Amino acid sequence: MRFWLQRVAMAVLLLLSVSALTFGAMNILGDPLFNILGPVAGDVNNPDSVKLIEKAKSEFDLDEPLVVRYGLWLSDFVRGDMGVQFSSDGQPPVSDLIKERLPRTATLVLLAQLMAIAIAIPWALATASRAGRLSDRISTMNTFFLVAMPNFALAIILKFVLSIKLGWMPLTYVANDPLSSRLWQMVLPALTIALPVAAVFQRLLRTDLITTLQQDFILMARAKGLSRRRVLFRHALRPSLFSFITVVGLNTGALIGGSIVVETIFRIPGIGSSLVESVLREDFPVVLAIVMIVAVAFVLINLLVDILYSIIDPRVRR
Amino acid sequence: MSGTDNLVTTDDASDVAVADEAVKRRLGWGFWLCIGWIVLMIILAFLAPYLSIKDPNANFIDMSGKGRPPYGPSMDHWFGTDKDARDIFSRTLYGARISLTVGFVAIAFGLLVGGALGILAGYFRGWFDRIISFLFVILLSFPSLVLAIMLTSLIERSLLTISLVLGVLSIAPVGRLARASTLQYADREFVTAARQIGATNRRIILRELLPNVVIPMGALALLGMAVAIVAEGGLAFLGLSVEKGITWGSLIQLGSEGSTTLQKSPWIAFFPIFVLFFTVLALNFAGDRLRTYLDVKESAL
Repeated sequence: MRFWLQRVAMAVLLLLSVSALTFGAMNILGDPLFNILGPVAGDVNNPDSVKLIEKAKSEFDLDEPLVVRYGLWLSDFVRGDMGVQFSSDGQPPVSDLIKERLPRTATLVLLAQLMAIAIAIPWALATASRAGRLSDRISTMNTFFLVAMPNFALAIILKFVLSIKLGWMPLTYVANDPLSSRLWQMVLPALTIALPVAAVFQRLLRTDLITTLQQDFILMARAKGLSRRRVLFRHALRPSLFSFITVVGLNTGALIGGSIVVETIFRIPGIGSSLVESVLREDFPVVLAIVMIVAVAFVLINLLVDILYSIIDPRVRR
Repeated sequence: MSGTDNLVTTDDASDVAVADEAVKRRLGWGFWLCIGWIVLMIILAFLAPYLSIKDPNANFIDMSGKGRPPYGPSMDHWFGTDKDARDIFSRTLYGARISLTVGFVAIAFGLLVGGALGILAGYFRGWFDRIISFLFVILLSFPSLVLAIMLTSLIERSLLTISLVLGVLSIAPVGRLARASTLQYADREFVTAARQIGATNRRIILRELLPNVVIPMGALALLGMAVAIVAEGGLAFLGLSVEKGITWGSLIQLGSEGSTTLQKSPWIAFFPIFVLFFTVLALNFAGDRLRTYLDVKESAL
């Protein structure tokens, strides 16, 4: 029980520090009043401008000290209210924007994760059982290429080959299409994110499987007369899945990072493309909300992996 | 799948182990090929203004009846031109200047700051170690691209600041490695011996620990440079990198924007992609070889 409490407390402390640092940095390094009003913020001699400045100050509590503002923001945030956008008329509220866009990104990341796992496991099994042969060497070279390929470049190559030249895949995402075609439009973006991650998974799982395949219990299972395939799937794969789960958790960051670039290229209106837009507009409430959502997701997934791991392998609960 | 019928037995696996052992001894020609490519890119980037290549910002509108730009690759424009008739080949070389500089400065900054923090944390332990380790955890609790985007939103985007932002990203991975290696050596006999004969902390860190910790960190440097170059490319692609100037990421972005650019003139995006890809591949491959050669444990990363 203490182990779990420690982990959860650590996660909460981590998120508090992250939010405090982000909030502080944005308010100290940025100029909120200028971001809200634009050039009007500096125009203190014009009574109309002063009125606008006063209104903005009271609306965003800009006269309060930083700590108070952080407290207000935090209590709103945990209750699901992420504030008002700086830009234009402040509509829609940040929460509504996120509510509309988050499901798309979540679907994309989940789809990519499933694809990466679905590609990596058979790939690792096939290469580990033929370690050192030509096919294995070629596949190792391919993982090198995939890992070295920046995801925006991979996205462009896949889009060029599969969508433009072959015409097999849709070019972009259309938010008004029915669900099934929207899912189909997400396949290529998800594949773009999944391929390099699958290469990382495959590398690790292959090395792990090769070690496992040299163990005596594999020889024993073979001697018992079990088929090679059964030994590979039932006996060799299971122990290797331990470290695999950890790596899957750790690579969620790469998936989220990949989704930002891919959403921009395939024009998926998710939180990734929203982050880029709001950074260019210097719309800090949106940036802050998205950064926090990503951090929460990232920390939760790693917490989940830790807990899952301690259930599978109780030795880690020292 | 017929592949599963060739399950490796213990004999096969030991053969593989022997082969790996042989690789470990030498860096191999692949390593030197990669280093050659990297050195070539650095020389070309450095000499770009002095080579007799075309002006990267000039518009080479063709009047002899080839119609409107973009023009495809030809003897005149090896990599073709973009839709403003600017020469992609010289733009790619000029792009190398920013991309390589950012990669180098970023990892140098990461090694300096991350290395120093990691060694100090590993040596002094206690509350200082706790604070530094927690700082590393905070830095690692963001996906790196998200952290980079967030930091670039707060600053003027110049060559130096973008390099430093990407340097900040490498602090935590480098620092963790430095801390782990320091912990490994801090209890060894030669450190205890140095302390017994009255060496100061400063002397122990600089003379006893640093030479040992620098080796695994150096192996990480090439990989870190590759990561920084890719990250800069990603930022530039999103329009969040150095505001003025040409970088590989912005060239690729220019070649893929709109619905028809990629379809009608793929060379605009693809030549910079190839150069970027080979550079990152070379850095990754050479870094990986170097790491195996110096026998740095993957788990320490």
